[in-house]
Amino acid sequence: MTDVSASTGNTPNLVQRIRRDYSPLVIGMVGLFLLVFVAGAAFTDDFLTWFNVKTIIRDAALVGIMAIGLTFVTLSGNFFLLSMKEIAALSIICFATLMSADWNQWGPVDADPTTWSLFMTFLVAFVATMIIATIAGALQGALIGLGGNPIVVTLGAAGLFFGIGSWWSDNLVISYRRPHGAEWLGTGSFIGDIPNITVAFVIIAVVAELVLRYTTFGRQVYLVGANRAAGRATGHENFGMAIKCCIIASVCAAFVAVAFSGQVSSAHVNYFSSEFGSSGDMTIMVIAIVMVGGNSIMGGYGSTLRTSLGAIFISSIDNMMVLNGFNSGARVLAVGLMIVFSIIVFALVRRGSRAVE
Amino acid sequence: MADQPLLKLTNISRHYGAIQALKGASFEIGRGEVMGLVGENGAGKSTMVKIIGGFDPGFRGEYFYDGEARHFKTPTAAEQVGIAIAQQELSLIPTMTVAENIFLAGDGVPLFASKSRLSEMAKPFLEEVGLGHVNPLRATNRLSVGEQHLVEVARLIAHNPQVLILDEPTAALGETDSIRILDMVKRLKDRGKSIIYVSHRMDEIFKICDRITVLRDGESQPARPAADMDVNSLVELMLGFELGDMYPARKPVARAEPVLKVRDLWPDGIVEPISFDVYPGEILGLAGQLGSGTSEILGAMAGSTKTRGGMLHYKGETFLPTRPKDAISRGIAYCSEDRKHDGLFLGRPIMENMSSPSLETIATKGILSGPRELQTTTENAVKFTIDPKRLPQEAGVLSGGNQQKVALGKWLSISPDVILVNEPTRGVDVGARAEIYQILRDLADNGAAIVVASTDIQEITNLPDRIVSFYRGVQIGELQLDDMTSANILEQITDPFHEAGIAVSEKAS
Repeated sequence: MTDVSASTGNTPNLVQRIRRDYSPLVIGMVGLFLLVFVAGAAFTDDFLTWFNVKTIIRDAALVGIMAIGLTFVTLSGNFFLLSMKEIAALSIICFATLMSADWNQWGPVDADPTTWSLFMTFLVAFVATMIIATIAGALQGALIGLGGNPIVVTLGAAGLFFGIGSWWSDNLVISYRRPHGAEWLGTGSFIGDIPNITVAFVIIAVVAELVLRYTTFGRQVYLVGANRAAGRATGHENFGMAIKCCIIASVCAAFVAVAFSGQVSSAHVNYFSSEFGSSGDMTIMVIAIVMVGGNSIMGGYGSTLRTSLGAIFISSIDNMMVLNGFNSGARVLAVGLMIVFSIIVFALVRRGSRAVE
Repeated sequence: MADQPLLKLTNISRHYGAIQALKGASFEIGRGEVMGLVGENGAGKSTMVKIIGGFDPGFRGEYFYDGEARHFKTPTAAEQVGIAIAQQELSLIPTMTVAENIFLAGDGVPLFASKSRLSEMAKPFLEEVGLGHVNPLRATNRLSVGEQHLVEVARLIAHNPQVLILDEPTAALGETDSIRILDMVKRLKDRGKSIIYVSHRMDEIFKICDRITVLRDGESQPARPAADMDVNSLVELMLGFELGDMYPARKPVARAEPVLKVRDLWPDGIVEPISFDVYPGEILGLAGQLGSGTSEILGAMAGSTKTRGGMLHYKGETFLPTRPKDAISRGIAYCSEDRKHDGLFLGRPIMENMSSPSLETIATKGILSGPRELQTTTENAVKFTIDPKRLPQEAGVLSGGNQQKVALGKWLSISPDVILVNEPTRGVDVGARAEIYQILRDLADNGAAIVVASTDIQEITNLPDRIVSFYRGVQIGELQLDDMTSANILEQITDPFHEAGIAVSEKAS
């Protein structure tokens, strides 16, 4: 979608270049879409206010962070993790259980807890959650790297993680009392009125993009994703790559789980299946964002910047529809349409570029 | 040959974006004629073939078939009047039987046809392409690649085409299978079919073509009788200048201490363990047909093919690579025969392709250095005569010859001491071919040891300093420079045990 926003520029050179590089069909579709979007933005009251823009990015943050993690998996040619929401579910159960565990309360017994003691509780829970997420990611990555089909492996893993989480929590809501040590991440803000989770989203997006562009690891992600056999032949094995990328995706999912738990100061295994986002299902939302961003599903082409923009894009469409009073069914429909639309446009663009050869 | 050509295209132009693929080119073919269509990669051969076959309706110019002006919109339309194309890539369904593949389109087949009925119907077409001995009920993927190509042609013949286009049918085939294809072309010609034969292999062109049309930079030369030309004059026409000697001069090699000793290496697909030595400064040729095991040997030396056992003695170290990384880190580079499969990252920039084996050398603590990458890749690109201005472009937009240069050139970045190359010039045009030979020779002269495996008999005769020959997974012998004649090599790689009972010279002709 980045190319699209550039296409509205007025320099004749750019217009000529776009007309040369893209077929009329693509230009027409993207133009129509932009028209609808801009018109929607202009005619929706309260859409273009600072408050609303903050809301949009804040809404984009949680799914966006998860999608950035998943982008590494997709770029490296290992398709998707269909277990994103289950990793998050297991993580949120782990986190909340430890937050509410008696042995993990570090403050004075009969007085109000101090900031330090709250933070210690948070730190223990956070580190434990991240360790579990890392193991979950490494396990899936190893199976994929050994040649397992990513769909089969992660579907199986999804059942495993969800089952553990559900068993561990007895399928009950685990809640913990405010004040607690995760509030700063869930609802707090250090810089003016910009929520910390928004700041985290921006930092993660920037770091991920820098890693992909300027590190050996990032280059390997692209090379292995573009051609796994050639990657192996030049000394870059997919085994290690799959493990690393799955760990990144899992850790991102766990981070989102922690932040979300911090917002609602509770946890339940179904939080990411039923009560999240417009379409309810976190895995589908995250995959949708990666797709709408225009990352190649086969790997080797795309960026986390595209994913971040995709997250903000979906979030703003969603927001626009909420402001206009659409119910959740219509919003799910819109997300579905956007995925189909972006797949068609990007497929056309790629096919067009092939004909020039 | 009738007076009026069966198919006649005049003044054909076609451009893709800014690239002019054909500039007013012409082409014609008479009834019962075999017309060679040759040219370097990027000369417009594939575009011409696509236009003739109806795959590319976006051209300008006149198209006459049987005296009628035509402009086919789809390949099906062209097929209906009798123009059929056998593409380079097979379009068979590997798990279905031969008979089912032949009648894939389904025309002329009753609604419910038993397998035996199908196989009866398929038999005549198989015989026509010289596959009479093949059971039509065999699964297609059980046949050799050459036989599969012939099945593909049999399927086209089932539609009774008047014009048959063969687009590099022998590019991926060994000597025996190629001979089958050539025999089939002769048979079809005798039955009055017209055949357009696209190939890079000069010997084949001269063996079977009546006339030859040369394309150069999208322009066509008038068709000339093959009898009036020889290889040199044809190459001159293709290039537009004289090539000189394609193969660089050999210098005497002082073989003192081998850089690499291969001992009892036993890759899958090889009958018994093999051993040989590789000396610095020489080009060693592994001669053998498709299926002789030379690919597997190179793959095993590089750690990319599974090996049952054996050792490499290299720089005082004894090891057996189990993955390519093991070989790369020691300075052994391996360029496989299939650059699209594992030689190139087609969707990534040329620069990233060139630096892909040596990311460690352009990075400090995991952070890539852009200027250092640009510098080393530019140096290596210049050595391989790749325009450094093209480094940011995707590797996929390059022509076959330039792609091969990138696939080979990327290995310069690890400064290899041993370079293993399988089929160094497959699908590469004549000009780039000479350049690649020269570069390999320069590398050898600078002290690198180069091992080349090739099924191209001209190449294996003229490029290496020494040859080890293979036949069906068995090491046959070693040929020194003085004994390296095509006849000697052919004998060793096609019939070393004199099983067939016919002279090799007869087989080769």
